[in-house]
Amino acid sequence: MYFLQILTLAVSVTLHTSTPPHLQRFRRMQSAQQRCLRPWRLVVSNVVSNFSVCSSRDLGRLPHHEQIFRELDPKGARFISTQVVRNRMKSVKNIQKITKAMKMVAASKLRAVQQRTENSRGLWQPFTALLGDNPSTDVKKNVIVTISSDKGLCGGINSTSVKMSKALYKLNAGPEKEVKYVVLGEKAKAQFVRDSKKAIEISITELQKYPLNYTQVSVLADDILKNVEYDALRIVFNKFQSVVQFIPTVATILSPEVVEREAEAGGKLGDLDSYEIEGGETKGEILQNLAEFQFSCTMFNGVLENACSELGARMSAMDSSSRNAGDMLDRLTLTYNRTRQASITTELIEIISGASALTG
Amino acid sequence: MTLNLCVLTPNRIVWDSEVKEIILSTNSGQIGVLPNHAPIATALDIGILRIRLLKDQWFTMALMGGFARVGNNEITILVNDAERGSDIDPQEAQQTLEIAEANLSRAEGKRQTIEANLALRRARTRVEVINSIL
Repeated sequence: MYFLQILTLAVSVTLHTSTPPHLQRFRRMQSAQQRCLRPWRLVVSNVVSNFSVCSSRDLGRLPHHEQIFRELDPKGARFISTQVVRNRMKSVKNIQKITKAMKMVAASKLRAVQQRTENSRGLWQPFTALLGDNPSTDVKKNVIVTISSDKGLCGGINSTSVKMSKALYKLNAGPEKEVKYVVLGEKAKAQFVRDSKKAIEISITELQKYPLNYTQVSVLADDILKNVEYDALRIVFNKFQSVVQFIPTVATILSPEVVEREAEAGGKLGDLDSYEIEGGETKGEILQNLAEFQFSCTMFNGVLENACSELGARMSAMDSSSRNAGDMLDRLTLTYNRTRQASITTELIEIISGASALTG
Repeated sequence: MTLNLCVLTPNRIVWDSEVKEIILSTNSGQIGVLPNHAPIATALDIGILRIRLLKDQWFTMALMGGFARVGNNEITILVNDAERGSDIDPQEAQQTLEIAEANLSRAEGKRQTIEANLALRRARTRVEVINSIL
């Protein structure tokens, strides 16, 4: 008899302590989730990762309610409380509400910025009409100005900007050539710091703390021009084509010396000579002013376009996550109903079998 | 023959239509531009832009520095800020001028003096525009 008792004790101990390794993580996540359901960021990652990890294991072969059972109660017991499912439903519903609100906020901000962006597009067009756009000029000192956002949850626009900047870096690297970065925005800074920390010349964050205006951007442009030596400035930003389309663009601005050099070579810049340059002491001084003005105008337009793209991307990202949350909620509701019905059925069976045992 | 004039500021397009003649004030003096002018690219000072409309009326605008490009009968003016004469309030312009003058006399240090000077020129331009209309 003692032996039986020890055996049952041993079996129960092993049942409690030995969880297969791929389920141990679920148990940790489950307890973490139940501990802190309120910070929604944590829940998002938990909810998302729960289901994604689930599907990548062999649990993916099981039907959906089995998957939830397995991960919510890793010991394998079939009956989970409806409480757990209800908690999960509540958190998913909160996430849905938050993402819907974020989408609407982004939409309303977008309307305001879009108008200003379209007005500012006329700014850089005269420069291109006068000087042409020459992204392929070969210069010794390149400076890549990457414009990105400070806040996240805006889709993939920051990654595309960074990817394009890195590609430009590789394109322009070579003997006797140097390339430097000027980074605007937290997100690009975080990505650049990881692998090209030495090449970052200046990094500027919190651009959008106050509404964007030309004076602020021209001060910034002045700062950059003073501190960085350049032959060509390449501004990388996301151009706002429409609410769902953002195109990474590069705007090239050449320094006055390079303009002079290229003007001799002919082409669009060669027409520059046909213009009589007035309004100052020397032609060089005017061209210098022109280049600086061109830089600040193009940067103003770039910053506005990037802000628009960020808001548009955030709108679509939040929209798809509210839709995903809605789908998750539907599936959870089905699971909840099944769980509820299962527990009712169990109770009935117990009562009926108990009653039939009594009556004989 | 008319000129196609476009005045752009970072925030909006101030003027975009056809005119007969304009008078710009550049860093090295005032120049008048008539149709079929030779192409020039010039830096503009803080000053007045006078426009002669198709019906031979003169129209004034205050420009706060920028660039102008004259192509074949197309003029593009890019300025930091531009205000139409009709949009400026005379009282307010006069007050701004007085405040700017006071600031200039109080300014210390090179940078403040330069800034005060610029503010004063801007205020003076606006007052001139008002006066030239009246």
